Amino acid sequence: MNDLPIIPILATLLGGLAFWLMLPRGTARGRGVGALAMAMALGLAGSQMPRVGDWLDNSVFFILAAVTIVSAVAAVTFRNPVYCAIWFGQMLLGTAGLFLFTGAQFLAVATTVVYAGAILVTFLFVLMLAQPEGKAAYDRVSWEAMLAAATGVVVVAALSMIIGRTFAPEGALYPWLGMPTSQQLAANVLTPAHVARLGGELFGRYLIAIEVAGVLLLVALVGAAVIIGREKR
Amino acid sequence: MHLLLLLLEPLLKIAVVIGGLMTAAAYLVLVERWMAAWMQDRLGPNRVGIPLTKIRLFGLGQPIADGVKFLCKAEFTQEHVDKALFLLAPLIMFITAMAAFAVVPFGSVIPPDIFPASWGIKEPIRLMVAPGLDVGIIYMFALGSIAVYGVVLGGWASNNKYSFLGGLRSSAQLVSYELPLGLGIVGVLLASGSLRLDAIIGEQARTGVWNILTQPLGFLVFCVASFAEAARLPFDLPEAEQELVGGYHTEYLGIKLMMYLVAEFLHMVTAAFLLVILFLGGWHLWGLTGAGEVVTWPIALLRVIVLLAKVMGMILFFMLCRWSWPRFRYDQLMDIAWKVMIPLGLVNLIVVATCNEFGMPLARWMGVSAEWAMMAAGWFALLASWLVVSLLDPTAGGNRPRHLRPAEAIPADWEAQS
Repeated sequence: MNDLPIIPILATLLGGLAFWLMLPRGTARGRGVGALAMAMALGLAGSQMPRVGDWLDNSVFFILAAVTIVSAVAAVTFRNPVYCAIWFGQMLLGTAGLFLFTGAQFLAVATTVVYAGAILVTFLFVLMLAQPEGKAAYDRVSWEAMLAAATGVVVVAALSMIIGRTFAPEGALYPWLGMPTSQQLAANVLTPAHVARLGGELFGRYLIAIEVAGVLLLVALVGAAVIIGREKR
Repeated sequence: MHLLLLLLEPLLKIAVVIGGLMTAAAYLVLVERWMAAWMQDRLGPNRVGIPLTKIRLFGLGQPIADGVKFLCKAEFTQEHVDKALFLLAPLIMFITAMAAFAVVPFGSVIPPDIFPASWGIKEPIRLMVAPGLDVGIIYMFALGSIAVYGVVLGGWASNNKYSFLGGLRSSAQLVSYELPLGLGIVGVLLASGSLRLDAIIGEQARTGVWNILTQPLGFLVFCVASFAEAARLPFDLPEAEQELVGGYHTEYLGIKLMMYLVAEFLHMVTAAFLLVILFLGGWHLWGLTGAGEVVTWPIALLRVIVLLAKVMGMILFFMLCRWSWPRFRYDQLMDIAWKVMIPLGLVNLIVVATCNEFGMPLARWMGVSAEWAMMAAGWFALLASWLVVSLLDPTAGGNRPRHLRPAEAIPADWEAQS
C-alpha cells in the first residue's frame, strides 16, 4: 500500500470540493476560495502528468490542456446561460487543439465543424430566443451541486486510474484497452495521407456501422419533414 | 538556434500573409468604390493623394485616410450592451477570417536553388502557411462555422431587438448556405481525391482540365453559395438599413465595426481564392506554367502571378455583381438555398460520382477520352437542371400565405362571380 498515488487522490478530492464551491448554488459565498482551490488542484494534477517530447511540445500541450479544463469549469460554473455556451465552445476548440496536437487532424476539424459549428450554435439560438433577459432564477442555480461534484470526482478518479495504468514505465501500451502501438500510430495516424487512411478504415472495416448511422440520420430527417408537413394542412 | 530556424519560415509566411492581406483589403475597398462610381456614372474617390501635399495620385491615399478615420473615432460603448461579448463578437469574426488563409496556397513552390547554398535549404518551400495540414478544405469550413458566432453574438450582445433579429437572420443565412457550399466542393474532392488545396491544383494541372469544365453545375452552386457566405450583394441583408434597420452590426462603430467590415471583405477574398483554386485551375495556365512539382524560379514567379491575376479577376466579378442585381428578399434567399441550390448540388455530386465510377469504361466504349466524357456529362447536367429549374420554378410564391397564392386566391371565373 505504500505506492498509493497520494498526490492524484488529493488533487481529485480537492478539485471536487473546489467544484462544489464554485457551482452557482444560489449564494456567491466561497466562489473565490473555490477558484483558488481549483487552481491548486489543477496544478497538483498537472505536476503528475508525464512529460513527452521537448519543452516546446510540453508547453503547447499544457497551454491547450489548461484552456480546455478552465473553459470546461467555467462552462458549468457561470450563471448566464449564454456565457456558459461560449465557454463550452472554447472548451471544444481546446479539445480540437489537443486532437491536432496528437496528430488527429481530421478529428480536430470535425469536432469544430460538428460540435462548435452546428450543435452549439443551435444551443445558442435556443438560449437566446427562450430568455432574452436570462433572468429566470431556476436557470441561474445548479440544482444538485453536491451530487454533481461527487460524480465528477468519481469519473475523474476512474478515468485517471485507467489511463494512468496504460503508461507503463517502459512505455508499452496495454493492448486490452484497444490502444494502438506506436508503430500502428505512425502508420495510420501520423502519415501525410492521414485522411485517406481514415476514409479507408471508415468505408472498409466500419462500412456497416457508417451505413446504419447514415440511415438513422435519414430516418430522423424524413420524420422531421413529416412532422412539419402535417402542421400545414 | 535550431528552434528559431524552425519557427522562422512559418513566422515569415504569417507576416507576409497578414501584411499583404490587410494592404490588399484596404486597396480593394478603393477599387470597389471606383467600380461603384463607374457603374453609377460618378467620379468616385479621386482626391486624397500623398498626405500634406497637393498631389492627388488618383485617390490612392484614400485607404490610409479611411483607416485613420476609423482608428481615431471615439471608442464609445453603449450602456445597454453586454460589454464582454460585444467586444468578443467582432474579434471572433476577424480572427476566423484571417486564420482561413493558413491553408490557402498563394502559388506553387519556391525552388531551393535561388537561395545561397550556405542557408542550407534543400526542400522546395511551399507557398502556404500550414503546408502540413492534410484537411485544408475542412479546416476552412470549420473556421466558417465558427464565424457564425461572431454574427449571432454580435446581434445578441447589442441588446437591441433589431440587431438581434438581424443576427438571427444572418446566421440562419450562413448556416443554410454552408450546405450548398459543401455540396459544391464534394464533387471537386471526388474528382481530385484529396482535401489539400495544393493537391487539388496539382491534379487540375496534371490533367490540364480545370474543374469548371467538367463540373459547371458544381461551380454554379459553389459560386452562389460563396456569394451568400460572404454576404455580398445580392445576399447582403445586414446592409439593408432602410428596410430592415441593418443587421447584427447596427450598434457597432469605430474599430469594432471596422473589424466586422474587414472580415466580410476577407470572406469575399477567401471565396475568390477558393473559386480559383477549386474550379479555375489555381496557378495553372495551359502552355505557360507547366504542371510539375520541380520548377525553376521564373516558372514559380509566373505561377504566383497567374494565381493572383485569376483571384483579382474573380474579385472584380464579385464587385461587378454587386451593382448588377437588387437584393433578394429573405424568403427568396432561403428558397434559393433549400429548394434550388441543395438539389442542384446533389445532382452535381451524383453526376460526378457516376462519372468517376463508370466514366472510364463508358468512354472507352464510346471511343473518346475520359475527360471529354466527364465534360459532356457535366454540361448536360447543367443544361438539364437549368431547364428543370426554370420549368418548375420552385421559388415562386412559396412563402406567401395560402389564401393569397394566385391559383387559389383568384378563381378562373372571378369576373362572373363578382
